[in-house]
Amino acid sequence: MGCDEATLCLACEEIEEIEACYDSDVRRTLLLTAWLLTDIVLFVGAYVCAYFLRVGFILSSDFPLDRYVQAVLVISPIWVAVMIGMNIFRLTRVQASKRNILHILFSCVMGLSLFTLGYYFLFGQFFSRLLLLYAGALSFVLTTIWHLAFDQWQRRILRRDPPAYPVLIVGANREAERFIKLLNDKQSPLKPIGVLDSLGSQQKEIAGVPVLGKLNVLESVIKTKRPTHLVQCSNLEHTINLVSAARQNNMTYMMLPSVLGIAQKQSMDVIEGQAMITVG
Amino acid sequence: MPEKGEPDLSSIQTFLSPAYGERWRISAGVRTVSLYYGCMQAFILAGGFATRLWPLSERRAKPLLPLAGKPLLTYVLESVPKEIPVTVSTNAVFADDMKTWAKTIKDRNVTISIEDAGHEGEKLGALGAVSKWLTEEKIDDDLLLLAGDNYVGCSMEKFLEARGTNPLIAAHDIGDRELAKQFGTVIVENLPSHPHPLTPSPEGGRGTKVISFEEKPLHPKSTFVSTGWWWLPKDSLPVLKEHAKKHPDNVGGVFEEFLRRGMTVDAFIFKETWHDIGSFESYLHLHREIVDGKTLADSTSIITPNCALEGSNTIGPSVRIEKSTLRDCILFGNSVITDCVLERCIIDEHCTLTGVDLCDQMLRAGTILKRP
Repeated sequence: MGCDEATLCLACEEIEEIEACYDSDVRRTLLLTAWLLTDIVLFVGAYVCAYFLRVGFILSSDFPLDRYVQAVLVISPIWVAVMIGMNIFRLTRVQASKRNILHILFSCVMGLSLFTLGYYFLFGQFFSRLLLLYAGALSFVLTTIWHLAFDQWQRRILRRDPPAYPVLIVGANREAERFIKLLNDKQSPLKPIGVLDSLGSQQKEIAGVPVLGKLNVLESVIKTKRPTHLVQCSNLEHTINLVSAARQNNMTYMMLPSVLGIAQKQSMDVIEGQAMITVG
Repeated sequence: MPEKGEPDLSSIQTFLSPAYGERWRISAGVRTVSLYYGCMQAFILAGGFATRLWPLSERRAKPLLPLAGKPLLTYVLESVPKEIPVTVSTNAVFADDMKTWAKTIKDRNVTISIEDAGHEGEKLGALGAVSKWLTEEKIDDDLLLLAGDNYVGCSMEKFLEARGTNPLIAAHDIGDRELAKQFGTVIVENLPSHPHPLTPSPEGGRGTKVISFEEKPLHPKSTFVSTGWWWLPKDSLPVLKEHAKKHPDNVGGVFEEFLRRGMTVDAFIFKETWHDIGSFESYLHLHREIVDGKTLADSTSIITPNCALEGSNTIGPSVRIEKSTLRDCILFGNSVITDCVLERCIIDEHCTLTGVDLCDQMLRAGTILKRP
């Protein structure tokens, strides 16, 4: 291969890498935008359904639909903002979790309260309490169902090759294997693409993910595979340097609690502004 | 004189950064004959990827790690008599660094032999690299084989004086069978109590005859280990080349092969210090031994008076240290350390540390740790 040809190949590879990276960013941005917009449409739709359920399938002149919809449209972005504030749209959030469903319930109650207040402030009137119950129930049920469906669809889209969120695993132990299986079984948007191990694992792959070598190839793996997340499952002595590498390469660093020898349930706590890991 | 409460920095010694030479001299194909050493070539093995020293080895070859102001490889080179031409073997990743290092050597010829390996999986292996070089360069001289990551306190002249007509291993008693498991162990005839062997082998050298050699044994029978110095007469090189085909990564194995074939192998026993720089601990240990309780600071570094420098420290160029305590640390250079307590730490270049306490850490280049 001539020098020019080799240079051209390298340039092409670089362009492909940049395109893949751009594609990943665009994928998540488009999905999130679509999710937020569909949520607003769903919220408005739920309230309109509640209107017709309560008033009947007519356009009442006593309680005009246009004023009602106007109030819902004003409130809906605030309702979405409440959900954003509760991290409901966060990448790693499991929509089917009890915690998440409770957060959706809370945000729908908030939406209902804001709508009631908003309607009163805009038009100086109160209205049917049953309509509020219908609107609240419908918005909660429809939002929950939509979030569960969207989550599954989004996971598939984000995992499609090249994955939007490639994850580099550090450590080739059983904890790493369990974690990789968990991500793959649950179709997590974070997709493991390679394993590095400071001790030089003899295994060629772990749970179907290739072992790429020791930590001395970290830089080249980051350059070629462009992981967005680095998850440390072992090799505690390298924590500082892995955090440093992640920061230098705009990656999110994560660590399994088992690396610190924590097998029990733990949480992040804050004591007088100081972050702490709490066990028990 | 320092004022009361301020540390005495008068003991800090200053060294200048090694100046680079103007050109890289290549001596490939030159056959040098010394009156004393005859036709002999030195080959330094420096082609490893040093994965155990990550992250320090991320951007530099292990033999180029700084040790009290100069690369470890320079110590190895300086130990070789000037009459002997030297070739350094490296891999494709560190080739440029090695060429840059070679330019700093002004008083002798150094050839860089580049192994076409971009990562560990592509490596020829140490013995494979030697064999390739011997074949490609058509070397027909005695071979002085040296490990680029070993520090030997003994004089090379003494080692070479002990050579006869048999392959010669420099061996050192590390006094611990557990430690010996990591190295090639030798059992020699008439264990010497004297630093140098008392019972010469029949071929006229001053080495002691090796009875057996075991590479990284599970149950070592001896605490005498093979160090990073080997001498091979030219008539033993065909065996080396043949052995390298099957076991390209095992230098020690060739001595097992010599013995298996009934050839005599001699050992040169030395009592002086020896270190194999394979880990963070061994690197720091050697550093402590060489720096010996002092602080060596590059003349371009700034250490404010409110710092405490304890134990053995080396501070590379363009480092600024303020309000900090350092104990047995190596700072490669171009870093800023403010309000830190660092104990047994090795800090690579371009690090910024503020308000952190670290112990037993190697930090990769460019690390920024700032307490909010």
